[in-house]
Amino acid sequence: MNAFVQDLLSGIATGCTFALVATGFVVIYRVSRVVNFAQGIFAVLAGMAAESFLARGIPHPMGEILGVLAGALAGGGVGLAAVGRRNTPPLASLIITLGIATGAYALLILIWGDQPVSYAGIAGTTHAGPIRIQNQFLLVIGVTALTFAALAAFFGRTYLGKALTACSSNPHAARLVGIDVRAMSLIAFVLGGALGGLAGVLLTPIQPVSFDSDVDLAINGFAAAVFGGIVSPGLSLVGALVLGIAEAIVAGYFIPSFQTGVALILLLALMVWQATRRRATEQEGT
Amino acid sequence: MLEVTDLVVRYGQAVALDGVSLEMAAGEMVALVGPNGAGKTTLLNTVCGLIDPAAGRFRLGGRVAQVPEGRQLFATMTVEDNLRLGAWRVRDRDPTRIYHLFPQLANLRRRVAGTLSGGEQQMVAVGRALMAQPDLLLVDELSLGLAPMVVDTLADHLVELNRTVGTAILLVEQNARLALELCPRAYVLEAGRIAASGPSTELSQTAAVRAAYLGGALEEAS
Amino acid sequence: MSELPAEPPPLWQRLLSRQALGGWVLAATAVVSLLAPLGLDDAQLTIYVFIGLYTMVVAGLSLLMGFAGQVSLGQAAFFTIGAYTAAILTRDAGMPSLLALAISTTATAGIAALVGLPLLRLRGHYLAFATLAFQLIVLSAISQVPQLTGGDTGLTAIPTLSLGPIALHGQFRTFIFAYVVWVLAAGVLVMNRNLVRSRPGRGLRALATSEVGALAAGVPVTRYKVQVFALSAGYAGLAGGVYAFFVGYIAPETFPVLLSVQFLIMAAVGGLGSVWGSVLGTAGVYLLIQVLDTVGTAPGLPASAPAIFSYAVYGLVLVAIMLYLPQGVLPAIQARLVGRRAVSAVEAERSTRAS
Repeated sequence: MNAFVQDLLSGIATGCTFALVATGFVVIYRVSRVVNFAQGIFAVLAGMAAESFLARGIPHPMGEILGVLAGALAGGGVGLAAVGRRNTPPLASLIITLGIATGAYALLILIWGDQPVSYAGIAGTTHAGPIRIQNQFLLVIGVTALTFAALAAFFGRTYLGKALTACSSNPHAARLVGIDVRAMSLIAFVLGGALGGLAGVLLTPIQPVSFDSDVDLAINGFAAAVFGGIVSPGLSLVGALVLGIAEAIVAGYFIPSFQTGVALILLLALMVWQATRRRATEQEGT
Repeated sequence: MLEVTDLVVRYGQAVALDGVSLEMAAGEMVALVGPNGAGKTTLLNTVCGLIDPAAGRFRLGGRVAQVPEGRQLFATMTVEDNLRLGAWRVRDRDPTRIYHLFPQLANLRRRVAGTLSGGEQQMVAVGRALMAQPDLLLVDELSLGLAPMVVDTLADHLVELNRTVGTAILLVEQNARLALELCPRAYVLEAGRIAASGPSTELSQTAAVRAAYLGGALEEAS
Repeated sequence: MSELPAEPPPLWQRLLSRQALGGWVLAATAVVSLLAPLGLDDAQLTIYVFIGLYTMVVAGLSLLMGFAGQVSLGQAAFFTIGAYTAAILTRDAGMPSLLALAISTTATAGIAALVGLPLLRLRGHYLAFATLAFQLIVLSAISQVPQLTGGDTGLTAIPTLSLGPIALHGQFRTFIFAYVVWVLAAGVLVMNRNLVRSRPGRGLRALATSEVGALAAGVPVTRYKVQVFALSAGYAGLAGGVYAFFVGYIAPETFPVLLSVQFLIMAAVGGLGSVWGSVLGTAGVYLLIQVLDTVGTAPGLPASAPAIFSYAVYGLVLVAIMLYLPQGVLPAIQARLVGRRAVSAVEAERSTRAS
């Protein structure tokens, strides 16, 4: 029982990092209609950058914060390339983000090599009756909860947040009232980069990251985002937690090496389900 | 207030506006009528800066805001959010004065815009444009898809606004009868060119405008 | 469109027009591909075979992207399925290689149709991610059933291509393979060319430009998309099968995700939807990859140098093409020569969106 609860908690913690990556997808997609294939790169970059900062004696949590900023900066760069030019068709934007993700590998290997990178998170465990929980897991869960609360406040209460939502609700109307949709897309990319970066600095102490860890993170994050139609941060969080827990259970009790396979099959099943549902609503509509 | 000179707009190969010239004084209310596809919406979007003209120029003597065809609300957001976002370019984001103008909207402020009736949505669209404190208001197809009584109420509001605040209004309508009734002066746009212009009373006698009337009648019938 | 030139253009311009250029490329490709093997040594012939194989895959991908407006990031998955099916059918089931090739090609196309049928109803980027996921699933599944696929160690001693009792062995093996592969590649290209010019082809072009417009014009959008997706997968499956017979050894690591990215770059360089561009795009990028490998493994460079070089170049090429030459490198050069811009799907979409 104890072991099961601990698997559950570790699943929730990984699920939280998926949720952060997923929200990055959502924030960017809602405003710019671009599915950003470089989303996982932000996490890898931030994790590796944080490791370097910490190794050079910058204290916690400054090293991690700098890592997240690196992610945000990278997000801005990807956004500039993907939507910075007027009338870049979505197909081209998508391939541009893929190109950047591929090119980023070169940079990551050049700076950090091709071996996994990790650093110590917060040490120790918390005892709750018979259950022992690693403090890093609690940190991941806590920071994710705070981030989602902050996002809800940002999109629900601030004028800028509402302008971002307006761009996704009706881009034409947004332009009419004078909102620069491209500038908003860039802001979304920076935010998406920071969210990916946050996932990276939280995850690296639990799971060492290497340059190509982005594929796993992006696939899991995207699967979670698809759960909410790539537009709902809340549903993405639910999807991510389900995914994290399911993978922890599959890894612990069934086939250890098939973790990502679970995410992928869930992702495809979800897409197929959405396709049939969309078809049904379309037929109702006509 | 608005001076458009020899404006040409192209979409790829197709010419949408082919040398349009038009003039409006401050505080004036002018109608722009013409059949579907004449280029009316293109003209408005160009004046709003959404489309780059291929040739010609236009000069604006103040702030401009548009009530677009089909309302184009932020359908998933509340009425109040819609109004406040209309003030993106100005400092004052308080929608109270819009609620004075349309008391009905004050009760609907927390409602999601997409769930309102057509007339209520049109009110939000007008209110959102007014939040930008425009000197020139461009209204695109005010009457489209609305019941005659609702159209009358909205039209009264526009005339009232023009009279009290002095906002210039360019009213684009397929329903030429309505537009010529409201506005003292009008332009007729056909196939990207100004086909006729002058006082509304004179224009409504000419053949070109009868054709436009006919277009409006056909549109209503279909 | 409404303006016709008053007088016929000069001869050199007519010889460089879009149609004529297609003809020239066709003729040149035919001549070069027929003569080239005669002057190549075995190592060069091997490269030649690979270019031919990849051309088939890229021709399908280019068709899918340029004419159906869909991105597949898992085209290597179909290459993989074709290779494994052909290998298992001949090696373990003892089937004649040509029959195995026919079955593996059909099976690959069938699997693509099954996967694509639901996914192609969704927006384009879903397919992009789904195909990437699909490739990872395929690779993961191959590792999970070692009894059938050899797991991570892969399959060795795959029989070579044979016709009845005559098997491709010995001194002229690579030489003959080169002809086999290029005959198949030519078949694929001619098929694409005819498809592009057919009625469905015109419908597809409309589809790439505007899905709503195509729907309005009565083009059966989803059916065409699924058909093109299955066809492009079939090309990849065919190439994969021949690859297995040619190399004789396959493993999951033979088909990394990066291979799909390579196919994408080849298609983008050749010009999305440009039939003949897929040949030149493939050849150009493949030779570039060879050069990068040679440069990267030069003495004195760290072990990670080849990886760094290729990732950097892939990324730069993709981004640069999408930003500056979205119609592809080859069509851009051709447009420069003819003096007018060739309109590809991406370019057409760009101008429609601008309006």
